[in-house]
Amino acid sequence: MKSLNIQSMAKCVTARAVRLWIFGLAVAGAITTLPAATPAAAHGERSQQAFLRMRTLNWYDVKWSKTELNVNDEMELTGKVHVFSGWPQAVAKPGESFLNVGEPGPVLIRKSAYVGEVPVPRTFSMDVGKDYEYKIVLKARRQGRYHVHVQINVKDGGPIVGPGQWITIKGDMKDFTNPVTLLEGSTIDLETYGITWTYIYHFFWMAAAAAWILYWFMTKGIIVRYWQVKAGKGAELIGQDEKRIGAITLAAVLLAVVVFYAAANKEFPRTLPMQAGLLTGISPIDEPRSTVAVQFKGGSYTVPGRELRIRVKVANNGKEPVRLGEFTSAGLRFLNPEVFTTRPDFPDYLLADRGLSVSDPNPIAPGETRDLEVIVQDARFDIERLSDLAYDTDSQFGGLLFFFSPSGERQKAEVGGPVIPRFQAGAAL
Amino acid sequence: MSASTETGSPAGKTWKSKEEFLGCVILTDWILLVILFAVLLGSFHIHYMLLAGDWDFWIDFKDRRMWPTVAPIVAMCFAAASQSFFWTRFRLPIGATTVVLALLVGEWINRYDNFWGWTFFPINLVFPSALIPMGFWLDIVLMISGSWLITAVVGGLGWGLLFYPINWPVLAQYHQAAEIDGVLLTLADLIGFNYVRTGTPEYIRMVERGTLRTFGKDVVPVAAFFSGFISMLVYFLWWNMGKWFSTTKYLEIEEV
Repeated sequence: MKSLNIQSMAKCVTARAVRLWIFGLAVAGAITTLPAATPAAAHGERSQQAFLRMRTLNWYDVKWSKTELNVNDEMELTGKVHVFSGWPQAVAKPGESFLNVGEPGPVLIRKSAYVGEVPVPRTFSMDVGKDYEYKIVLKARRQGRYHVHVQINVKDGGPIVGPGQWITIKGDMKDFTNPVTLLEGSTIDLETYGITWTYIYHFFWMAAAAAWILYWFMTKGIIVRYWQVKAGKGAELIGQDEKRIGAITLAAVLLAVVVFYAAANKEFPRTLPMQAGLLTGISPIDEPRSTVAVQFKGGSYTVPGRELRIRVKVANNGKEPVRLGEFTSAGLRFLNPEVFTTRPDFPDYLLADRGLSVSDPNPIAPGETRDLEVIVQDARFDIERLSDLAYDTDSQFGGLLFFFSPSGERQKAEVGGPVIPRFQAGAAL
Repeated sequence: MSASTETGSPAGKTWKSKEEFLGCVILTDWILLVILFAVLLGSFHIHYMLLAGDWDFWIDFKDRRMWPTVAPIVAMCFAAASQSFFWTRFRLPIGATTVVLALLVGEWINRYDNFWGWTFFPINLVFPSALIPMGFWLDIVLMISGSWLITAVVGGLGWGLLFYPINWPVLAQYHQAAEIDGVLLTLADLIGFNYVRTGTPEYIRMVERGTLRTFGKDVVPVAAFFSGFISMLVYFLWWNMGKWFSTTKYLEIEEV
């Protein structure tokens, strides 16, 4: 009796458990599928450690020539990059770098890329402490709205992602063409070139393989053959007739290989091996030495307040007074509203147009040296996870300061060094 | 399909008639074939993607030295193991052909659905390496010789030697030259440059790196011979690997 009760209880519990599981799965399914899906807004640059983004490549003057294109339209992604002098020891130096684009698949193709005046379809070398100007010509391929970044991949250092902009592409990818003129003079559409033949060639061989497999399978199957092999009659399964079939098949296969090979050589008599190699000696930007010298004197970062506070000694060796107008790091721009009276055209998520202030707003006179406290404060610092600097193994910040004279001349100065995190009550490492 | 009871299978009390028994055998054969094909597809695909990886993914990695060296060697593993299974247990000369066909079916599904369908890479950037004639070669050498030792030596060498000529009919068109912004590129290089891969920078390509420069431009035969030689050694190892796993001893007999 007791046993029966337990059995009926077990049945009841099992049925209830099954119902609960089904209900739970239904709820989980609804939660994960019913809300509207939103497109990914970034390419993981936020997940890169803050010290890495701040102290490797400092992007500035980044411009996207268009933000709306039709399929087949071209745009330019241009800008400059400063290779930080205090390049972190944990990351390989940019001796082998590749100018790249951060985008979700080839929605825009890269028609050409330049560093300075030099085309860079290949890997190139950069020197620490120098600035380089780049240009990437992109051609719209797939309709949609995409976040497009400039990016430089550094060998053994990984991708270092620059600022990104939303680009809208209208039209239909079916209309996309990618004409290329070959060295011998003819023009082809690289988008579709050779694809039909690739399918034919591959599926021809796959069909031949399927026929071969089915032929042997259909003669005696698998199980019967197993019984015969087990009974010691395996040798009877492959006799002279079978070997003859095999030899004829092999001859046909080898003949087909020779014919296909010869036909390819006849159709394409002039082919080259793939080209690869490191481009060295690319000149950095030829610019006069900055007339403003900045010496880092220490700093702190208040984690809950998202505030970077640095002390610097600024020497103005120029002929005009200057004021600090901008601090840029990891693609973010923090502007001093007293200098920038109009908002520049730059992606909003990276532009803190009131994010910079200085302890002494008065211009630094020519020949004057002044101690300044620079305050960088904006939620973007946290949103872009630069506040994670406090949790990095190398808690040093880096970036560029831009000083402006009344005539509009811009002076650039690199700044960086260790900062001490400040934690308020409740904050913890 | 023809099946017979010539080995004296127990078509007695369990089946109502000989026809029912044969029908059951044929059905089981088909189920086995489909399952084997799927298992080989999945396992070989993972193996090949992990070991051949970028060399098989991208046209601008298919060079004259590294690709014909690496790809056949890592493909030989499953071909040898599969032959060991199909030949020693069933005397079926289809081990290598089946496994490379399974791989290519898996690869084409992957390249078409994922690389093209999801991320819009054109097929001429991502088509896989052709391997089928190598499968024929290995299977027929084993069938004619009846010896896995001869297959390892002759078949293994041919496996490496055949790889580049088999792929050239598709590859040749992409080795035509173009001048882009004053730089000489093949179409293969250009496809790789045009169609942006955020995580695949140009410097990770292994294009003819190494110290083997004595043979001038004729690097393919040298790479192919080396690949064939290593394929022989791999064949020995993986034939026995296949033999080791071609058993039911891991199953409790009462449960079968």
